Amino acid sequence: MSETIRFNFPAPVIDDSVDRLRKEVRAFLQEEIRNGGFRPVTDCWCSGIDPEFSRKLGQRGWLGVTWPKEYGGRELSALHRYVITEELLVAGAPVHAHWIADRQSGPLILATGTEEMKRTLLPRIAAGECFVALGLSEPESGSDLASVRTRAYPVEGGWEITGTKLWSSGAQICQYMTVLARTSERDDKKRHEGLTQFLVPLDSPGVSVRGIRDMSGVEHFNESHFEQVFVPENAVLGSVGEGWTQITSELALERAGPERLLSTFVVLEKAFLQAAATMNGHQATVMGGMLARIRALRAMSLGVAALLEQGQYPEVEASLVKDLGTRFEQDIIERLREFWPIQLKQSFGDDLHYLLADSLLRQPSFTLRGGTNEVLKGIIARGMGLR
Amino acid sequence: MGFEMEQTDQLILDTAQRLFADHCGADVVNATENGTEPTRLLNAIFEAGLPLAWVPEAAGGVGGSLALGFNLIRKAAGFALAAPLAETMVANRVLAESGLEMEASWTVLVFDGGPLPTLADGKITGLVENAPVYPGVARLVVPVSDQGIIRIATFVPDTLEIEHRESLAGESRARIQLNKASPLELSPVVDGMSEHGLMQFCALVRACQIAGAMEKMNELTVAYVKERQQFGRALGKFQAIQHKVADSAGESALANAAVEQAVRELSEHPRPFSGSADSLLSVATAKVVASEAAGTVSRLAHQCHGAMGFSYEYPLQQYSRRIWSWREEYGSEFYWSERIGLAVAEELKHSAPGQNDGRVWEIVSR
Ligand SMILES: Cc1cc2nc3c(=O)[nH]c(=O)nc-3n(C[C@H](O)[C@H](O)[C@H](O)COP(=O)(O)OP(=O)(O)OC[C@H]3O[C@@H](n4cnc5c(N)ncnc54)[C@H](O)[C@@H]3O)c2cc1C
Repeated sequence: MSETIRFNFPAPVIDDSVDRLRKEVRAFLQEEIRNGGFRPVTDCWCSGIDPEFSRKLGQRGWLGVTWPKEYGGRELSALHRYVITEELLVAGAPVHAHWIADRQSGPLILATGTEEMKRTLLPRIAAGECFVALGLSEPESGSDLASVRTRAYPVEGGWEITGTKLWSSGAQICQYMTVLARTSERDDKKRHEGLTQFLVPLDSPGVSVRGIRDMSGVEHFNESHFEQVFVPENAVLGSVGEGWTQITSELALERAGPERLLSTFVVLEKAFLQAAATMNGHQATVMGGMLARIRALRAMSLGVAALLEQGQYPEVEASLVKDLGTRFEQDIIERLREFWPIQLKQSFGDDLHYLLADSLLRQPSFTLRGGTNEVLKGIIARGMGLR
Repeated sequence: MGFEMEQTDQLILDTAQRLFADHCGADVVNATENGTEPTRLLNAIFEAGLPLAWVPEAAGGVGGSLALGFNLIRKAAGFALAAPLAETMVANRVLAESGLEMEASWTVLVFDGGPLPTLADGKITGLVENAPVYPGVARLVVPVSDQGIIRIATFVPDTLEIEHRESLAGESRARIQLNKASPLELSPVVDGMSEHGLMQFCALVRACQIAGAMEKMNELTVAYVKERQQFGRALGKFQAIQHKVADSAGESALANAAVEQAVRELSEHPRPFSGSADSLLSVATAKVVASEAAGTVSRLAHQCHGAMGFSYEYPLQQYSRRIWSWREEYGSEFYWSERIGLAVAEELKHSAPGQNDGRVWEIVSR
């Protein structure tokens, strides 16, 4: 019988430096909240855009912490990065501006970029001054990402890119976008070949970015047109034609982070504080149960982080975390409704209501972004030998 | 593997695996429920010394870590073990903590999480439900309250008023009425043992068993949907089935992660029955998540199995019936959720207003 069914989540090694870092970040954030530096928001890694705040984090050395020192990093462990991101999330800090660059584009550049790219861009990302958007989805390509139509043709000295990218979070404030494009004709038998990722400066001639308002009222994602946009040879990330492999491993790594279970924790925190004084048995059961699940999900997510540290590739485990975690982020809001009905648009200074209402309006996205939960279940089923 | 293990621990587990595989097939489990004692299995478990896994070497035991014992229990649950190994392991550890002697016989813990029987004038009075008094059990280990402090009493089953009952899965869950009963032995006061601590420990045992059984249920399900063909293809090729399997795997993985963090937490305490506030959160998490998962995993596994899973002969039902009982024992998900909720609310009440921002997270992330 299959042994792959045994999923194992080892404990990460947490030394004093990790704990110290956590306390530092926590203290900084509490201070910022007290000083009115930011107002806590729900789903802050997607909804809270504040480049100024990102720069503050960069100045404190809290971005790109795992990268080599020569590129502006601090050569800390993935766990150090993990606790920083956790603390930012539960505080509801406005971190969207740098989130993708710190989590995904930076590591991608580090792994596949040219030396020049690493020298010029990574220190700026780590400083919270350079932001990068993800150009994967398109009008006709969502879950079926290999079907992208954006096309890059080789021209003298580089490539010319034409196409449309959709839903790119934060592109309106980003200087760059990583664009997945087709670089050779589509072959239906080898659909995953012939794709390449490019790092495209968004101020290049021929690029236009238009904000799209989401149902919560925030204009956080975008539609971007590329009309014969020229990029030099060295804008290619990794090897021509290898885009698919890069993307899938990139996505696998970002799946199990704390933002896949803590997007709405800030609401639960507030709710608990408000309820503590009068908590009865029933409410304690409902709310205590949520804390139990968070703890278990966190143990799983940390387990994946530990597996990554050990050099393993826990694709299935990471997908399990994201599937369970994102559904739970939604559940939290549904369960809190029992005690705090969510109905009015205005909050009249009631922070908890504001967070609840905003969470409700944002939660449909949790189980879509970064690969839908149906796609994740497919990956899990494959890992269990069913596909 | 599961919790971090030493090499010798691994050897013991491998031995157990072989032993269970040889002597505890699905037929043995069913036969036991129908009244045939699994003599070969019971003897083999004894000969391998498994009941002494948690007993320190100084007291004549194996001296295994907490992690080893919980792994063993989890493995046993993966065979729907037709023997009270977990109850015996805990009983022997409790005896060791109390200073009483171990015996080479089936010894089980008699503790249901409710109020402890009380000691007065050397006699014991109280009611204990859900006692695993299987045929062949020779000695009962009963934690009793001596004016709020725990001592351990032992009894021979024949000397007591015992009403035999069974769990949904046919496991012995007897009702024992102690009416000024004279114990065979009575330990001095046991240091570092509390009612809460016993409750936590036993809850984690059940959570661990649920996790082990669910792993087996997922194995059965995956094997079944790969094998069974309908509409010209294996069931596992249908996306609807794949998603059920993925959901089931997720719940089971979550329970594993929760159980593992609790075992790690408890392992850090020199006194595993002391019941500290830190271990409360970890153990409660494990029991909540495992008990919740029990409902989901059994529902999905049965749905994927069709009528076959509903038949007595097919092994799935032995696991579903067990986890349905286990999830209720030593506190359901509702009980432990409430404990967490009230404990956290209590902490929040005691800190000054304005000092609370981030407190819940601070507690959760401990
Ligand atoms: C808040 C937010 C931020 C985002 N940010 C970015 C970004 O920065 N960059 C970027 O490139 N994209 C981004 N996206 C897009 C995101 O990656 C896509 O939404 C996602 O990949 C799904 O694609 P889709 O929306 O086209 O849905 P579709 O693929 O059209 O799917 C619609 C529904 O059908 C289901 N479905 C599709 N295929 C199958 C199948 N084979 N089997 C079963 N069910 C299936 C899906 O699971 C889903 O439920 C963002 C999305 C959101 C909501």
